[in-house]
Amino acid sequence: MRLLAASGAALLILIGATGATAQENAQQARTEAFAKLPYWPGYWVSEQQAGTTIGGLPPEVLAARERGEPITVGFMKLNGRAAPWNEEGQRRQAARAQVVDRKAKGWGFPMMMNAATPIQVLITPEEVLIINSYNETRHIYTDGRPMPPLDDLWPTVAGTSIGHWEGDVLVIDTIQVKNPNLYFHGAPPLSEDAHYHERMWLDGDVLRSEITIEDPVTLAMPWKVDIAWVREEGFDRMVQIDWDNDRTGSDGAYNTIEPTTVTEDGE
Amino acid sequence: MRFPIALACALALATTGAMPAQAHHSMAMFDQAREVTVTGTVKEFQWTNPHSYIQMMAPETDGAKVVEWSFELGAPMYLYARGWRPKTLKAGDKISVRFYPLRNGQPGGMVVDIVTADGRKLGQKA
Repeated sequence: MRLLAASGAALLILIGATGATAQENAQQARTEAFAKLPYWPGYWVSEQQAGTTIGGLPPEVLAARERGEPITVGFMKLNGRAAPWNEEGQRRQAARAQVVDRKAKGWGFPMMMNAATPIQVLITPEEVLIINSYNETRHIYTDGRPMPPLDDLWPTVAGTSIGHWEGDVLVIDTIQVKNPNLYFHGAPPLSEDAHYHERMWLDGDVLRSEITIEDPVTLAMPWKVDIAWVREEGFDRMVQIDWDNDRTGSDGAYNTIEPTTVTEDGE
Repeated sequence: MRFPIALACALALATTGAMPAQAHHSMAMFDQAREVTVTGTVKEFQWTNPHSYIQMMAPETDGAKVVEWSFELGAPMYLYARGWRPKTLKAGDKISVRFYPLRNGQPGGMVVDIVTADGRKLGQKA
């Protein structure tokens, strides 16, 4: 009996040691996987929006104005003005132009990749997180999982994303995105059947992305958009602030600032 | 008129609902060919998304009647990057605001820069 107990104790120790070793191995493997991944630290803003004034005008607008030239720079390429819309897409665009007094709920995907907000890209072996300052986060799973079955998916503002690394290029597939225009009035009216392909990489001090969007419902052909971000000075952390004071209204001819609804005591 | 081409461009963009600037809406609502300066007393500084606003009590530009003005700024994160903080302005502060006025004549506009009563300029870099 004494021998049996001793054998049992030894077995438990062995199992414990094996378990600890397995955990240590997994930790070691993850550390090594982490070390191989790119690192894109900083708070990134779209290239044309770096240096935006306190009033909201990008430097290129002011420079063009000083030169007496028209403003030709596309500040939000993803707004869909230049997309190759098919008949249904054109119908949606025309309907969108008629609505002047809609409120936005935030940026949403894909606009958050080209919006007036810094983004942060957190890279881990299991997933990449892309975060902006409006409580909007994309989860891009890079752990090798396939896209979930369609029965497990439903349209959301951010959609569902999987990704993988091709060298230092992050390749992202995203589907099941709600019509972005329903969330943000400045976003393209793509359908929930749209498929978003992205390739992101660091090019020196510039973060770049090629986005190709296919949508059998609204686009006549794949729509390609290139985006570049630079690190803007002055950001030391990502502060999440609710989109809760949208005072942009319409007077019929133009947008305008609506009277404030916030009182001095905050109610 | 100082910026006729930019104005024409802004008007053209306004008709299509385009957003030439960084904000979440068209900037065509502001007459960017005209700068106006108003001096008054801060009623409230709204440090909010998608825009920050200064509510200020000041006389109308064409009269002596004191009214409440609404001045629009960019989003807090952009202001933060320019050195602004939620307490940069507080109720009771005396300031002069240079701005592009609303086209519809309402008391408000887009901030160009701000000078405090002691002469400090709260502009690009506060």
